[in-house]
Amino acid sequence: MLDRTRTLPALLLILPSLALSLWIIGYPIYDVVYTSLHEVNRFGRVRDFAGLANFAKLFADPIFFASLWRTVLWTVTVVGGAILLSVPIAVMLNEDFYGRGIARVIVMLPWAISLAMTAIVWRWSLNGQYGMINATLFQLGILDGPVEWLASFDTAFPIEIAIGILVSIPFTATVLLGGLSSIPADVYEAATIDGATGWQRFRWMTLPLMKPFLQIAIVLNVINVFNSFPIIWVLTQGEPANSTDILVTYLYKLAFRYGRLDTAAAMSLIMFAILLVFTAAYIVLARRSEEKGA
Amino acid sequence: MSRKLKRSILFWLVLGPFAVVALFPYAVMLSTALKPGDEIFVFPPTWLPSRLAFENFVEMWSATGFGTALLNSLLIATAGTVLSLLVAIPAAYALARLRWHGQGLYRQFLLVAQMLSPIVLVIGIFRLMAAMGLVDSQWALVLAYAAFNLAFATWMMSSYFRTIPKEIEEAAWIDGATRMQSLVRVFLPLALPALAVTGIFTFINCWNEFVLALTILRSNEKYPLTLQIFTLVGGAYKINWHHVMAATFAATVPVAVVFALLQRALVRGLSLGSVK
Repeated sequence: MLDRTRTLPALLLILPSLALSLWIIGYPIYDVVYTSLHEVNRFGRVRDFAGLANFAKLFADPIFFASLWRTVLWTVTVVGGAILLSVPIAVMLNEDFYGRGIARVIVMLPWAISLAMTAIVWRWSLNGQYGMINATLFQLGILDGPVEWLASFDTAFPIEIAIGILVSIPFTATVLLGGLSSIPADVYEAATIDGATGWQRFRWMTLPLMKPFLQIAIVLNVINVFNSFPIIWVLTQGEPANSTDILVTYLYKLAFRYGRLDTAAAMSLIMFAILLVFTAAYIVLARRSEEKGA
Repeated sequence: MSRKLKRSILFWLVLGPFAVVALFPYAVMLSTALKPGDEIFVFPPTWLPSRLAFENFVEMWSATGFGTALLNSLLIATAGTVLSLLVAIPAAYALARLRWHGQGLYRQFLLVAQMLSPIVLVIGIFRLMAAMGLVDSQWALVLAYAAFNLAFATWMMSSYFRTIPKEIEEAAWIDGATRMQSLVRVFLPLALPALAVTGIFTFINCWNEFVLALTILRSNEKYPLTLQIFTLVGGAYKINWHHVMAATFAATVPVAVVFALLQRALVRGLSLGSVK
């Protein structure tokens, strides 16, 4: 009874979801394309057809390229750092040890809190005169005077990356833990009997078995981190002098602060294209791991 | 020394620095939130206040409009979650239980929809809401949150639905129940854990959302918590950090406690739903 092909009832069941998506996500996509090809005045009124002029303006903008480069740096370092730290964390959390329950809660904790709130607390902690970071480093004798961490790119951006890594670990570790728990224990027991050391088991068994989960964790993280707005917006708003802007923060400024909706729409489309490439990568990886039965 | 004890010590040595960094914001929140106002701007600052200034929480509540913002957050996140689930449940059921033409296409569509984040489309969303007269309306956020969480919710629930044996429903049909009756009386009660896990994740997503709220809302009395607290540190000449930290503490600790209590079930649910 359940195996018959039932297209009409199924279409009725998915209709609400299609309608809502087309309305709230589909129309904005169309609108961004339309806006990017027109001139828009400061008050958001669409004027004449502009062809590719908005794209030309964007490509003549050095801040756009600087933001693009920083987005690459931001995404690669945050995702790389999150993966490098999450692998050992997930492996440890998968083993039995005293206090594992507490360790799991601590690792997952940053997930429960909005990025904006986390960033607000870090901004206060990093305050040059009254922040607890300076106070603690000062008391430990590491600093001899207050440092304005967020006032220059050289300190602000690495700090933003570090916070980005910290908040990406819970999700990454969860995906990896899911993968680790799917590896049957008797595989390890057999290897141990055959005399494999801990490192050998990790290098030659855990890592290869984890590969599909690592790939999915990387792609999903790349998409999340590429889109991540609150950390940089709350900590530095892309300042000083646009030096910590990434694409998403610069897009927001272009659109809602500088009132250049048309150029911003062109930028949206370019980001959209970049995301589509990542999505295609994800679909290929997901299909491959499905075929393997993982 | 037993092997487990040795391993525990080694693991905690490695996890220790991470735990310190992860817990640092809570320590800062608590320390600043309980300091009397005149001890905030003192150099060098100290961790421990001279006395516990619980009045900060009382002052903060009225000074920051905490109650209104809390209510707004609850309303927006609840409405967004309910709408998202209402639309996602039938779609997830169709994916898990029926065979139909275009199923593969619909899956791809969900995947692409899941990848899109509001920030990339923020201009289009803003112009859509403006055209519908929904700028500065909380309904705009409810609609957008429902739409952007839809793919995730459908995906999670359909993976769960597939684990519920078909035979239970078929037995209900044989006993004379209609498809609708068996869906509502037999299937949905069994799917309740899935609805709960999906609902909680959607709720947390809505509760924590920042960009759309920042773009669409204009009047302070409509702000949800995240935005309200952000405004406190945004423009003001002198930021009353003891109020801000009391507010972030009050806004985050309840969520963190709920998350910590449910963490095991949530994480298990998520890895069952999204990874498999």
